[in-house]
Amino acid sequence: MSSVAIYQKEAWYDLVSAWRTPGFVLPALAFPVVFYLFFGVLFSPAGSSHAAYMLVTYSCFGIMGPAMFNFAMNIASDRAQGWLTLKRLSPMPVSAYLLAKMATSLVFAMLIIVLLFSVAAVFGDVRLEQGQWLGLALLLLAGTVPFALIGLLLGLTLSDKAAPGVVNLLYLPMAFLSGLWLPIHLLPQFLQQLAWVWPSYHLSQLGLKLLAMDQGQPLLHLVILGLTTAVLMGLCVLVFRRYTGAK
Amino acid sequence: MSALQTQLKVTGLVKRFAGKTVLAGVDLILDAGEVLCILGPNGAGKTTLISAILGLIGTDSGEIQLLGQPQKGTNRSMALRQQCGVMMQIGSLSANLTVAEQCDLFSSYYDNGYSAAELVKLAGLQAQAKVRFGRLSGGQKQRLLFALALAGKPKLVFLDEPTLGMDVEARRNLWQQIRQLKQQGVAVVLTTHYLEEAEQLADRIMVLHQGRFIANGSPQQLKELTRYKVVQCCSSLTDAELLALPGALQLSRQQGVITLHSSHAEQTVKALLDKDGAVSQLEVRPVALEQAFLQLTAQSAERSANKEQAA
Repeated sequence: MSSVAIYQKEAWYDLVSAWRTPGFVLPALAFPVVFYLFFGVLFSPAGSSHAAYMLVTYSCFGIMGPAMFNFAMNIASDRAQGWLTLKRLSPMPVSAYLLAKMATSLVFAMLIIVLLFSVAAVFGDVRLEQGQWLGLALLLLAGTVPFALIGLLLGLTLSDKAAPGVVNLLYLPMAFLSGLWLPIHLLPQFLQQLAWVWPSYHLSQLGLKLLAMDQGQPLLHLVILGLTTAVLMGLCVLVFRRYTGAK
Repeated sequence: MSALQTQLKVTGLVKRFAGKTVLAGVDLILDAGEVLCILGPNGAGKTTLISAILGLIGTDSGEIQLLGQPQKGTNRSMALRQQCGVMMQIGSLSANLTVAEQCDLFSSYYDNGYSAAELVKLAGLQAQAKVRFGRLSGGQKQRLLFALALAGKPKLVFLDEPTLGMDVEARRNLWQQIRQLKQQGVAVVLTTHYLEEAEQLADRIMVLHQGRFIANGSPQQLKELTRYKVVQCCSSLTDAELLALPGALQLSRQQGVITLHSSHAEQTVKALLDKDGAVSQLEVRPVALEQAFLQLTAQSAERSANKEQAA
């Protein structure tokens, strides 16, 4: 069997397994859509660009969830149940396991993008240039990477019992404090400054830049998001080495 | 050149956890077609030993050779992973995937392994092929994990408590499969709590106690040992009189209660009652295996000491 087949099967079965977990699929897909319909579309003042603005932020909110949850919860439980040990003992390359989880996060991100873009176009009356739709979609897909890494880090360090709670504790406040639920300029000044800590803030600002609705300094956001991703990746490598006992 | 090939060789393995020595210099050798059973109470270091051999944890000193290749630290070559099969004690598969799907996934990992359909058959779960792992019974899960351990047609197989949670019939079927492995020349390392299992399958039994092998022998030798019984009573007989009873081996007294180890408990008790009609609190019970082995090692040490004296 070629190694390409391992990567394909690993990815396919990771997706199948995630898809068969209603507790993962329903919140992952329904929350961003329902929240966006409510806060982005229904409460949008007529003739304003509110629905377009919120499309960007709720899309960011949407793609973060599956990336963080799929990594953190499944890796923590695979560790606890010995599944990861069995896989490590088998000839499966670890990269196949991690890339499979990444692929699942991307598939869910894509579904969320399609759902939210459709809701925005049909109910929110959002009209964007073709390039803007495409650019936003690509940015969001690339933007899942840092959140997947956060999930990986949590999955490798937390117990399977603690993982879901901790992810929620990070996910929801981070989304709110990054201005994903309410536009960032409506938050108090000190929270706006604190927002620079969160990768989700930088991602949403880059998305808003595509719609010319950002707060400025796009290059700085890009650099910070890139650096954050690099640091997270380094941390993941360290933690993974410690987990596998390699020195 | 010997027809038997050494598949696993461990020399002087030491592992410490937080200052506590879990493995205190373990040696073992396993040849092709041999089934080695590692027995020992919980906490004896069985799982630690297997984890160290498999490279899941690092070791403090000692050498490990798997299939003729030295294993260093926790990095194992892909070739080695292709040829070793493992069934760990805590091994749960993704609850959401069916038997057929798990087999499909695992068979893709190996270059010259079984096909997915063959693995389903090997597990004897054809009727459950479309059942998700989470809905299988404990015994069915074990059967699937056993089949997956063989997915790569390995030369060396590690089975950590493989029949845990199986009913009698499933257990016997698994024993049959392990015998077949042996016939195919596969080397098998087995840990178990079940004495009967060790007796049925093992060519050699090693008893691990406090991080050390305290005994190494055939099942026949083991059987001898488990025949030993403990006779407990209160009696006015002297130590010398008690040790003169047929079968009596060893004696201890604690707060007036006599504990007598016997190789032929029935005869010991009969003679005891003949000699002392006033015996009270009489109790006969089997020796715990671990104790029996400790006794064995004590005896062998005594014997060698006697030999030295005679020489």
